[in-house]
Amino acid sequence: MSTATEPANGAAAGAAGASTAPGTAPGEDVYPLALLMDELKHDDIANRVEAMKKLDTIAIAMGPERTRDELVPFLTEVAQDDEDEVFAVLADELGEFVPYVGGPQHATILLPALEILASTEETLVRDKAVAALNSIACELSEEQILSDFIPLIEHLAVADWFSSKVSACGLFKSVIVRLKDDTLRKNLLALYLQLVQDDTPMVKRAAAKNLPTLIDLLRQNPDLSNDVDWDFISNMFQKIINDSQDSVKFLAVDCLIAILRFFNTKHVDQHFRDLLSSAVKLSTDDAWRVRYMAADKFETLASQFAGHDDYLTELLPPFLALCEDNESDVRKAIANEIPGFAKLFKGTQQSAVILTKVLPAVQNLSMDENEAVRAALALKVTNLVELMSKDEAIENLLPILLNMLKDEFPDVRLNIIANLKVVNDVIGIDLLSDSLLPAITELANDINWRVRLAIIEYIPILAEHLGVDFFNQQLSDLCLSWLWDTVFSIREAAVNNLKKLTEIFGPEWCRNEIVSRLLKSDSQLLENFIYRFTLLSALTALIPVVSADTVTEQILPFVKHLADDAVANIRFNVAKSYAVVVEVLAPHRDQYADVINGTILPSLNALCQDQDVDVQYFSKQSLARCNELLA
Amino acid sequence: MDVDMDVPMHDAVSEQLTPTITEDVDASGDDYQDIDFKPGSSGIADHKASKPLELTGENINQLDKWIEKLGKCEILSEDDVARLCKMAIDVVQFEENVKPISVPVTICGDVHGQYHDLMELFKIGGPCPDTNYLFMGDYVDRGYYSVETVSYLVAMKIRYPRRITILRGNHESRQITQVYGFYDECLRKYGSANVWKMFTDLFDYFPITALVENKIFCLHGGLSPMIETIDQVRELNRVQEVPHEGPMCDLLWSDPDDRGGWGISPRGAGFTFGQDISEQFNHTNNLTFVARAHQLVMEGYAWSHQQNVVTIFSAPNYCYRCGNQAAIMEVDENNNRQFLQYDPSVRPGEPTVTRKTPDYFL
Repeated sequence: MSTATEPANGAAAGAAGASTAPGTAPGEDVYPLALLMDELKHDDIANRVEAMKKLDTIAIAMGPERTRDELVPFLTEVAQDDEDEVFAVLADELGEFVPYVGGPQHATILLPALEILASTEETLVRDKAVAALNSIACELSEEQILSDFIPLIEHLAVADWFSSKVSACGLFKSVIVRLKDDTLRKNLLALYLQLVQDDTPMVKRAAAKNLPTLIDLLRQNPDLSNDVDWDFISNMFQKIINDSQDSVKFLAVDCLIAILRFFNTKHVDQHFRDLLSSAVKLSTDDAWRVRYMAADKFETLASQFAGHDDYLTELLPPFLALCEDNESDVRKAIANEIPGFAKLFKGTQQSAVILTKVLPAVQNLSMDENEAVRAALALKVTNLVELMSKDEAIENLLPILLNMLKDEFPDVRLNIIANLKVVNDVIGIDLLSDSLLPAITELANDINWRVRLAIIEYIPILAEHLGVDFFNQQLSDLCLSWLWDTVFSIREAAVNNLKKLTEIFGPEWCRNEIVSRLLKSDSQLLENFIYRFTLLSALTALIPVVSADTVTEQILPFVKHLADDAVANIRFNVAKSYAVVVEVLAPHRDQYADVINGTILPSLNALCQDQDVDVQYFSKQSLARCNELLA
Repeated sequence: MDVDMDVPMHDAVSEQLTPTITEDVDASGDDYQDIDFKPGSSGIADHKASKPLELTGENINQLDKWIEKLGKCEILSEDDVARLCKMAIDVVQFEENVKPISVPVTICGDVHGQYHDLMELFKIGGPCPDTNYLFMGDYVDRGYYSVETVSYLVAMKIRYPRRITILRGNHESRQITQVYGFYDECLRKYGSANVWKMFTDLFDYFPITALVENKIFCLHGGLSPMIETIDQVRELNRVQEVPHEGPMCDLLWSDPDDRGGWGISPRGAGFTFGQDISEQFNHTNNLTFVARAHQLVMEGYAWSHQQNVVTIFSAPNYCYRCGNQAAIMEVDENNNRQFLQYDPSVRPGEPTVTRKTPDYFL
C-alpha cells in the first residue's frame, strides 16, 4: 500500500519545486515523468486515475519545453493503451493543458492525443475529448485552425467507425464562423451534410443535435453566411425532418426553431410559408416522440411566427390536435404551453381565439383522465386570466378553475392555489373564495400529511394576496387547527406558519388574533402533553416577532406555569423558552429587570435542580445563555 | 368499538431461525464455525464500568457530533463505533430485564435498517428528546442501512438514556444477522467484521422487555410457556447470545395465534400462543395488554386476542416491496393511546413500489 502515498508526495514536491523557480526549467531531473510512468503502470486502476489527475502538477514541474518534448508524446501513447476511467481524466486534463505546453502557439501538439480519445467507443471519454478540443480551438490562431484543426475534423468525419464521426459533429461549432473564406466554409458544410446523411442513426443524431448551435452561430455573425450556406442548411433540415428514425426526426424541432430565429433576425420572411408547413408536419407527425417534442417547445416554436397572424391561425389546428393527443405525455407537454401560445395572438383576434378555440381545449384538459396532465395544466392555466377582460374571465375561465379546485388529485388543487395571484389581480378573490375555501379545507384535511404540509406552506403567500380581513374571517381558524394535528411535522409547520403570518400582519394582529386565542385553548385538549408542547412551541416561536409587552404580559405567564409540568419533556422546553424570552428582553433589561430577576431566573434556577437529568442539562444550558445575554 | 375485529397477521416475509436456503448455518450447537465470531471477541465489553455512564460535557459534545453525522445517514468510523459501543454497554448493562417506563411514551416496532423510514417516524412522532420513545427491537437486517440505523439509535440511547429505550429483537443476534444482511452490510461498509462484532457484543446487554406504568408489557416477540409472571423475566440472565430455546428465546421469537393454548412455531424458535394464554398472563400480572412487534401487519398495527395483544410494525413497505403501512403507538400521560400510521418516506433514487402488492409476493 506504500505506493499509494508516493505520488502525492512526489506531486507535492514537484509543485513546490515549480513555485520556487517559476518559469525556469527544473534542471535535468527526470523524476516527475518517471514517477508518473510508474504510477500509470500500476495494477490498480484507482492509482492510475489518481496519477492522471495530477498531470498538471507534473507538467508544471517539467516546464513547457520538456512537457512538449517528453510528456505529451508519452500521453499520446497512454491514450492508446489504458482503461476508459483513465482516458476520461486524461481528456479533462488535456483541455486545460495549453498554458503548460507554452501557450497557444504550441497548442496543436495536444491534438493527436485528443483525436485518439475522440475516437474511443466510450461516450463519456469522447464527450470529454470533444469538450477539450473545443476549448483548445478557442485559443488557436486562424492558421492553426486551417492547418491542424480542420484536418482533424476531416479525419474524424470520414473515419470508418461511428464513434469518430459522432465526435466530429461536436467540433464544427469551433470553426464554422472562424473561416472568413466562403469556399472553405462551404466545404465544411458539405462535410456536415455528409454526416447528416450518414448510415448510422448515432451519427445522424449527433449531427442533428449540433445543427441548431451551428445555425445560431451563423445568426450571430450575419455578415458571414450567404445563400450557398443556406442551401446546405435547408438541405440538412430536409434530411433530418424526413428521416425514417423517430430519434433523429424529433431533433428537427430544435433545428426548425433555430432556422426561424435566423430568418427573424435577418428579417427575411420569404421562407416562412415552407417553414410553417414543417412546423405543422412535426406537430402532426405519426410518431408520438416527434409530436411530444413539438408540443414541449410549442410556445417557442409558435413565437417565431409572432406578428404573422395568418400563420399563427394555421398553427391553431395542430395545437388543438396536440391538446387531444392520444398520448398523455404529449397532452401534458402542451398543457404547459397554452397561455404562452394564446398570448401570441393580438388584439381582437386574441380574445376570439381564446374564447372559441383555446378555452374549449382547456376545458377538456381540465377533465383529462390522466392526473399528471391536469396537474401540468394547473401550473400555468391561471395565466390565461391576464389575456381576458374581467367579465370574460368570470364567465369562461372561472368555472374551469373552480372545478379544478375540486379535482380529486391533490397536486391539481395545490398547483391552482399556488398560482392564484394573477387571478386575484384580475377578478378579485371574492368570486373565488366560495370554492377556494372548501378546496383549502379539503387539502387541509387530506389523509396524506405531505399534502397538508404543502397547503400550509402556501398559506403565507395566500395571506399576502387576500389581505388581513379575509384572512381573519376565513383562514385563521384553520391555521390554528393545524396546531392540533396528529402528525408532528404538521404541528411544526403550523407553528412556523403563525410566525410567518405575524411577519406579514404585524405584532398587534398577532396579539389579538393569535396569542390571545392560543391562550384560550381548550383545556381538555391540553391534558395531552403533546398539545401543551405544541402550544409552548407556538408561543416560543412568536416571542421574537411580537412586542416585548405581549411577551411579558401574555406569553411569559403561560411559559412559567408550565415550569411545574408533570412531564419532563415540557419542563426542559420551558427552560429553552426562557432563553428566547431573555434574548428579546435583554436589550431593555432595565425596564424588565423585575421580570428577568423576579420571574425568569428563579424559575430557571429551580429547573436546574430538577430531578430529571435532561431538564437539568437544558436548564443549565439556558441559564448560561441568559447570563451571557445579560452580561 | 369493535373489539372483536382481530386482524389476521401476515407472516409475510416469513423468517425462520434456520432458513431452508442456508441450511449449512449451524442451528443446534453453540460452536460457531469461525472462532472470531464468539461472543465478546470484539473486546468492547472487557472493561465495563461498575456504575452507569455519567455524561460529561465532553461526552455530550462527542455524542451530539455523532448524532449530527448519523442524522445525515453517514456512518461513523470504526474507532468511533468502538467508543460508541463501549459507552452504550455502560448505559444498557444497568437497565433491568423488565425496564420500567413512565408515560408519555411512543412505542415503535421493527425498523430493520430502513433508515429513511426511521427519520420519517421521527417526523410523524416528533424528534427525540422532545418525544420519549420505546423501540421493541429489530433495528438491523433486511434494509440497506442497518449500520446507520442501529448506530443512530444507540447514540440517541447514550445521549438521552431517560428519553429513549431500545429493547432487543430476535435480529439483534449473531446468528440471525449473518443470514439476513447486517453482517454483510458491515463487511461492505467497513471492510471487516469488526463493527459487526462490536454491535452484536453490545446487543447481548440490551434489555429484553419493558413495562409501561405497570400496565403495558412490551417485548419483541411474545409470551413463553416458562414465564407466568413478570418477576420470572426479572430473574433471567439476559446477557448472552439469543438462545435457541428457553424463556429468553421465546420472549424474542413467539407469535400470537388464533388457536388457543401453546403451539409449535413455524419459525423454528419460540411458540405460538392463543387468546387464553394472553388473557391469563394479563390477568396474573394485572396488565392492560401486551405490546409486541416481530410480525408484518399491513396497517402498521393490529390488535389480536380481543385487545389483549397489539402488534406494532414500524417499517413501511417492508423490504421495499411489501406495500404495508407502518405505525407507532403514542401513550399520553393519562394512558390514552393513539396509533399513528405512515407510509414510506420519499426517497429519490430508490425503487418505488405501488401501494398494492400482488398477493403472490406475500
